Parts: sequence; structure tokens; C-alpha cells
Amino acid sequence: MNMDRWQYLIVLAACLAITAPLEGFGDGVYRQPQRTATAVLPVAAVFVLWDVTAIAAHVWTYNSRYLTGTRLPGALPIEELLFFVVIPLCGLLTYGAVDALLEKVRS
Amino acid sequence: MTGVGYTVPVVAAVIAVLAMEFGLLHTGLFRRPAYWVSMLIILGFQVLVDGWLTKLSAPIVIYSSTATSGWRFPFDIPVEDFGFGWAMVTAVLLLWERQRRHGRGKDAP
Repeated sequence: MNMDRWQYLIVLAACLAITAPLEGFGDGVYRQPQRTATAVLPVAAVFVLWDVTAIAAHVWTYNSRYLTGTRLPGALPIEELLFFVVIPLCGLLTYGAVDALLEKVRS
Repeated sequence: MTGVGYTVPVVAAVIAVLAMEFGLLHTGLFRRPAYWVSMLIILGFQVLVDGWLTKLSAPIVIYSSTATSGWRFPFDIPVEDFGFGWAMVTAVLLLWERQRRHGRGKDAP
């Protein structure tokens, strides 16, 4: 069975899995869904526009061998849309955990 | 012309994020040690993930050779990706910090 087309999705899933335990530090990210959405979604919207523009202008393309094949309007692979949610979540989880640990050290 | 498609927008994105903080939001994010420590950790993981996505032997993302500066480091990562990633993550952290509740009970000294 050919697993290649799951590759980009698996990379994203691995990012979520590795950062998941960080939720336990501080106030968390997933436990503040409103704050998280307000931080992630506007930035994701801008970067999706950038991405779709770059695809249209042939600045970059995606290797269909490593994609599930689901494309959104603008030929945006579904994986790429998820990228703009997953990576910011990982960033917020990292920042939240580091912030909580530094606060603990100081107090 | 080399770099117009990707290099120039990345530089613009970095400037836009700096303008967002210093001209608009004033969250103080860049004065927080937690930000810089986090960015170092995130940079480490970006090298791994981005390195996998852009490796020339089996790339998931393929860049037009005329759109980038052509500098790829480390591995086969186009250096522009670091500006792209920094702008994306920092913009999210700025919007996150803007919503920080002041005087939370458990954070009070």
C-alpha cells in the first residue's frame, strides 16, 4: 500500500502530537478556544491569501505524490490550510509553556 | 527577476509584523524573555519540519527557481522560509498577547 500521499498530513499530525503535552503548562491553548481562534484565524486568513496568490503566480507548487489530493478553491491543498492552523497552535503551545515555566522560576 | 516572487513578499511581511507591534498593538512581546526562548525552540523544530518539506531529494513543496534568492540553508530550506515562519508565528503571538488578561489571580505576586 502506498503511504506517500499521507506524508504531509502525517508531518502535521506529528507536530500536533509532539506539542500536545505542552497544554498542561500554564493556562493552556486548547482550553482557551476563543483566545486561540482570535489569534490564529486572522493570521491564517492572510497567509492563505498569500499562498493562493503564490500558487497562481507559480512561485511554489506542491508535489501531488505526498498529498491526499483534496484541493480547496485556489488549488490550495487541504494540508496547506491545516498548516496555517497547526503550526501556529504549536507556536502558541511552546510560548505558553515557556512563559509558564519562566514565571515559575521567577516566583 | 530573481527573488521577486518570494523574497520581496517575505521582507514585506516581516516589516508588516514589526509595524503591527510598534505602530499598533504595543503588546511588549519583544521585551518578554519567553518570546525569545520560544522562538529559539520553534526555530529548531522549523529546521526539522521545513527541512523535510523542502528537501530536494523528495520535496513536498517545490519552489520556482526564479522566485527565491536561491540561498538554501540549512539542508535545502530556502532562507526565505525563516522570514515566512517568523512573520506567521510572531503575528499569532502578538494577537495572543493582545488578549492577555491583566491582574490574573494566580499570576499576582
